[in-house]
Amino acid sequence: MGQVIRLFSDYLSQYFKTKLSYRANFFSELVSNLVFELMRLAFIGIVFQHVDKLKEWTLWEIVFIYGYFMIPYALFSVFFGFWDFNERYIIRGEMDRILTRPVNPLAQVCLESIAPDRIFSAITGFIIMIYAAFQLKLSIAWYDPFVFVLLIISSVMIYAGVYTAIAAVSFFSDSRTGIAPMIWNIQNYGQYPVDVYNNIIRFILTWILPFAFVGLYPSAFFLRKAEWYTYTMLTPVMGIVFFLIGLVVWNLGLKKYSGAGS
Amino acid sequence: MMIQVQDLQKVFQIHQARSGLSGAFRDLFNRNYKTVKAVDGLTFSVEEGEMFALIGENGAGKSTTIKMLTGILNPTAGEIRINGLVPYKEREKYVNSIGVVFGQRSQLWWDLSPMESFRLLRRVYQVDETEGVKWLDRLIEELDMQSFLNQPVRKLSLGQRMRCEIAASLIHKPKLLFLDEPTVGLDVLVKQKIREFLRNLNETEHTTVLLTTHDVSDIEALCKRVIVMDKGQLIFDGLLAELKERWGSDTEVTFHLKKRTTTDDVRQVLGDLPCEITQDNEITVKLKFKHEMLPYVLSTIMSAFEVSDVKVQETSTEEIVRNIYSTPSEVVSHA
Repeated sequence: MGQVIRLFSDYLSQYFKTKLSYRANFFSELVSNLVFELMRLAFIGIVFQHVDKLKEWTLWEIVFIYGYFMIPYALFSVFFGFWDFNERYIIRGEMDRILTRPVNPLAQVCLESIAPDRIFSAITGFIIMIYAAFQLKLSIAWYDPFVFVLLIISSVMIYAGVYTAIAAVSFFSDSRTGIAPMIWNIQNYGQYPVDVYNNIIRFILTWILPFAFVGLYPSAFFLRKAEWYTYTMLTPVMGIVFFLIGLVVWNLGLKKYSGAGS
Repeated sequence: MMIQVQDLQKVFQIHQARSGLSGAFRDLFNRNYKTVKAVDGLTFSVEEGEMFALIGENGAGKSTTIKMLTGILNPTAGEIRINGLVPYKEREKYVNSIGVVFGQRSQLWWDLSPMESFRLLRRVYQVDETEGVKWLDRLIEELDMQSFLNQPVRKLSLGQRMRCEIAASLIHKPKLLFLDEPTVGLDVLVKQKIREFLRNLNETEHTTVLLTTHDVSDIEALCKRVIVMDKGQLIFDGLLAELKERWGSDTEVTFHLKKRTTTDDVRQVLGDLPCEITQDNEITVKLKFKHEMLPYVLSTIMSAFEVSDVKVQETSTEEIVRNIYSTPSEVVSHA
């Protein structure tokens, strides 16, 4: 573990060296990410020009949830960028190289795809959240920052678990699968309060692909919506459970890979 | 003993796709699998400091064998013990003691310079800084990489990149080096440089080197010992010289004579020696015979005729390999 953390700083510095050598690219990426986030926010604004409330939720409450939702996803994408896992590691065979190096394979794949510039969108999310909190005149208790950190970590673990499991599917089927983009679309349902959806989608977003735990459920705690507190408290549990599921599927996949080869 | 392989076996289940759309539809529900024995009962051992080649046609099981030896694949049956470790069981510990070059794939970072790649690899293998730098300096000098060390890898030529690949695989000073097709597509000069480097490495560091190759000159330049695989089985394990003896074709000698000579004249001198005599032109005669007859033939012809030039043509390993492949494998393995 210690070595992985040391390697993280090494890969990080290499990342910046490479990125900075393509300066124009670096800035244009930054700007386009920012524009993308603002567009999504503008969409929420447009909806609320036509309605005052979505179910019981006011505009600023939804903006608050949206702000929260951005943070774990951004943090998660700093460490996890293997959207092209199948293409790069299975089809092109880079997995063989990973396996000939003395570091945990999953850690290596993460290290090779780190993208620290994604952290900006976490900052954006945080600013949006704080701004919404002021608009809502939310009270902040002394323990809130600690709870916040705990919930964010839990949400990141949910993402990590779900997407690691999905990447590991490539070990079982070497053809390209369209699962990841589909899941990504479903994930975006998590940025709105789940009670605006019907029961089936709610159930899925809570228990199957628990993306309600990366947006609404944790945010509800700070919005002081007592009816959701049970779910808020479940967030760390779900985080651990899904992270473990991800690891188990990954390890099964790795075993399959070593057993069958290509 | 460096490498010990006992009854190694690897079986793959390969999905057989049916043809056509209806076939594809049926595949959804009921798949046909074919069992393929990629490696079948391989047994051999290698001493420390040996350089040896694993050769065989495409699909003979070389890559699968290498993948099992490097810990990427688990064997279906059989045992592997290398450096006292079982590769697939203690993978992370084991790979610290080996270096691997897959000729077709890169282990360098495309956007980084070789120097940065080496630095990163040193961290991956947790190499001691001062030791590591000293060792790397030697690699850089011996592989002559100074001039392109700070260019991004994507801008290097194939020959430059290959030298970097080899250096990268040696960054942690492994005891055992696997080279899978290391010289594919390289020009003669680079090939020579790489071979010279490997020979030197083997001599000074006693690094054990396992090579798979299609290039017979690699084997001739580097390896005494050769293992030949065919259809997953080992069909030859021994010295290159023995291989030549067993599958080598006849030695061919060309004599340029000072006077006109016919094949009959030559025949007369040689008596009933089993030998094929052909005539290129009136003063050039070609003889083909078993290699062990060479001294006798030479001395006999030299004393009987006035000879202006002699050319002895040994069978190349290339020819031997072709001979092995063209022989049906049953016959060969019984031989």
